[in-house]
Amino acid sequence: MQRRDFVKAMIAATATAKAAAGQQTAPPVVQKLPPAAPKAPGPVPWSRGLLDVKPLPMTPLVPDAVAETNTHFFTDTQMATLRRLGEIFMPPGKGSLKGYPSAIEAAAPEFLDFLIGSSPADRKQMYQSGLDRLETEAKEKFGISFAHASAAQADQLIRPWLRAWMNEHPPTEEHALFINIAHMDFRTATINSQAWADAARAAGKPAPDVDLYWYPVDPDLRDADSRKAAARRGTAVN
Amino acid sequence: MAEEKVDVLIIGSGHSGGMAAKILTAKGINCLMLNAGPIADVHKDTEVKPAYTLPYRNFKRPGQLEHVFQSNEFNANTWVDEKEVPYTYDPQKPYNWVRVRLFGGRSLFWSRQSFRLSDYEFKSKSHDGYGDDWPISLADLGPYYARVEAIFRVTGHADGLPQYPDGNFVVDDTPWSGCMQRFRDAGKKMGVPVCKARSARGVNGLASSVNLLLPDAFETGKLKAVPNVVVRELSVDKNTGLINEVHFVDRISHREMSIKARVVVLAAGTLESTRLLLNSKLANSSGVLGHYLTDQIYGAGINCSVPEARNGKSNPALMGGGGLIPRFRNIESKHPKFLRGYALNIFSNAGEMDPRSFAAYGDELQEKLESYHGSGFYAGIMGEVLPRYENQVSIDKEVVDAWNIPALRIDTKYTDNEFEMARDAVDTSIAIAEAAGFEVLAKNYLPNPPGYSIHELGTCRMGDDPKTSVLNKWNQSHDIKNLFVVDASSFVSGGWQNPTMTILALSMRASEHLAEEMRKGNV
Repeated sequence: MQRRDFVKAMIAATATAKAAAGQQTAPPVVQKLPPAAPKAPGPVPWSRGLLDVKPLPMTPLVPDAVAETNTHFFTDTQMATLRRLGEIFMPPGKGSLKGYPSAIEAAAPEFLDFLIGSSPADRKQMYQSGLDRLETEAKEKFGISFAHASAAQADQLIRPWLRAWMNEHPPTEEHALFINIAHMDFRTATINSQAWADAARAAGKPAPDVDLYWYPVDPDLRDADSRKAAARRGTAVN
Repeated sequence: MAEEKVDVLIIGSGHSGGMAAKILTAKGINCLMLNAGPIADVHKDTEVKPAYTLPYRNFKRPGQLEHVFQSNEFNANTWVDEKEVPYTYDPQKPYNWVRVRLFGGRSLFWSRQSFRLSDYEFKSKSHDGYGDDWPISLADLGPYYARVEAIFRVTGHADGLPQYPDGNFVVDDTPWSGCMQRFRDAGKKMGVPVCKARSARGVNGLASSVNLLLPDAFETGKLKAVPNVVVRELSVDKNTGLINEVHFVDRISHREMSIKARVVVLAAGTLESTRLLLNSKLANSSGVLGHYLTDQIYGAGINCSVPEARNGKSNPALMGGGGLIPRFRNIESKHPKFLRGYALNIFSNAGEMDPRSFAAYGDELQEKLESYHGSGFYAGIMGEVLPRYENQVSIDKEVVDAWNIPALRIDTKYTDNEFEMARDAVDTSIAIAEAAGFEVLAKNYLPNPPGYSIHELGTCRMGDDPKTSVLNKWNQSHDIKNLFVVDASSFVSGGWQNPTMTILALSMRASEHLAEEMRKGNV
């Protein structure tokens, strides 16, 4: 039934019902709806046909596969120290890990520049002071930058601070905390890189750390201002 | 058009709310369930991915979920966003409030350890003089535990220990692996019992409200549910003193709405239920609402290696399986440094070792990881935290959540009793492990921050005296007869046990009582 016909039918039904009830009322005021807007010619709906589109025959790449991360957080000296630390902590794989990438090949230092640069102030400070201390000690002890320290020289600066520790409870001494956290961060950033996954596949093994990823579940539709306000309030935690 | 009045309004959809819905609808009572979050659809909301495709390579997004140690980049979207629903605390006394608002709540993710409390917990004051006894005993709750264990298909072995009450188990008669047997033998010589763990098997890999409780309730046709509504306040009829209306806000649109109800069953989780009552300024004639917050200490423990399993010699007869050391302190004797006791989760691992267990890096570390592969053995504490009046929550009037609902302020800390307990747990673990011939690689004496166990308990405790408790022994408010609080906020003390079985049994018992009272016309 067209809308106009429906309105007419409703008006008629109302009038009939009232007449049947014998009510002596004034004639009803007909509520006129605005006329329907004429259909203008225009483009077809943008989504028409979308349901019929088959997935593209492509495997999406992650950016690391084709590009390098621009570093911006650490100073040049700190970055050079970080790269050397990565070489020491995660050298190219040997033995059963032959063919697996080093931290450098997995671009872990550049990833950590991004990660730490996005992190809370205490994590930034821990990394910066830890890297600075390695550089200072290398110069004092060997007369060279940490970036040019041999493996044996670097070991003299790192080993005293290595600890065995358990989840959530890293060492509490400041420099030991940096050394041990940086070590684990390098391992994670390297093993969870595409380069490592590619090496695993080449060796006939599954990629590490494959898991069920949860997308946002029915995210709310608050406007940007509300989100910012909530975020501001959230900083009141503590 | 909305219904005029709901018979029972259930707030929360986790284990406690799900059980209330199952019991009440089975008795023919119409229920409406409100849940603050959405319904998760694993088919729609998830995808299997390698970590390298995630923005942060499975590091947590910096600054996100800082208090949820259990979170990672894969599961970050399942937890409550701390910025969306903030809470506050003194920086010197941090608290990890770990929350899930998906339909089914934390029942979707729990560890499934399934224990009964014993009368060493229900009647703890009678045993050691500290705190308060519960108004109920194991004998009162035992029949409900048995029914819950049947629903959740709890596996276990009857050990006949009063501090580790046996239950209605799917019998676990699996043999001990070699390393576990050695640990058992070493423990026995020290008077420390090593038992089989008890765990909810569930159905098809899930032991949740959404597959074991709510389907039965919906099947009756008596349960309706609304997701994505955040309850703001309960209001009381001034003439009757009863709750008559519930005010909530649509999570997505922020539209404010209200609904009338004959009875309200609060099952939002310990701290959310208490937050709602505090914000509503209800049910607190005793003055103890929000007080006696307790939980369990986790995090202290040891990492070991079984030498005979190294260098490729690990095998299923030697390695694998787990067990549980139930509380053994302060049962027959009195420990000089702490009250109550702890349990130890123990398990062996025939897989990769944790690299943090070795003070090494580079090629040396890799050689260690390969040599030690398959030889892991671990022990970790689950310890009782004493219920203290001063460990409390209140409303922070300066902070609100994304729906303008005042936030919770949490004021709690561990004391020497908990720290001494953790120290004893680690030293005892080391002694047994070394007696068994294991190499201890790493140890940690410090508990994780309060809240980490996700076992927040108390703040709305039950008791016989309305002057010292919020609820009676049926989980019913002393002040408001048509208000029942069926989650773990009713706990008087927590023991060392995962509280899920107790929450479920209490909710079942309270719901049957409520149904009977409604039938009699008393509520």
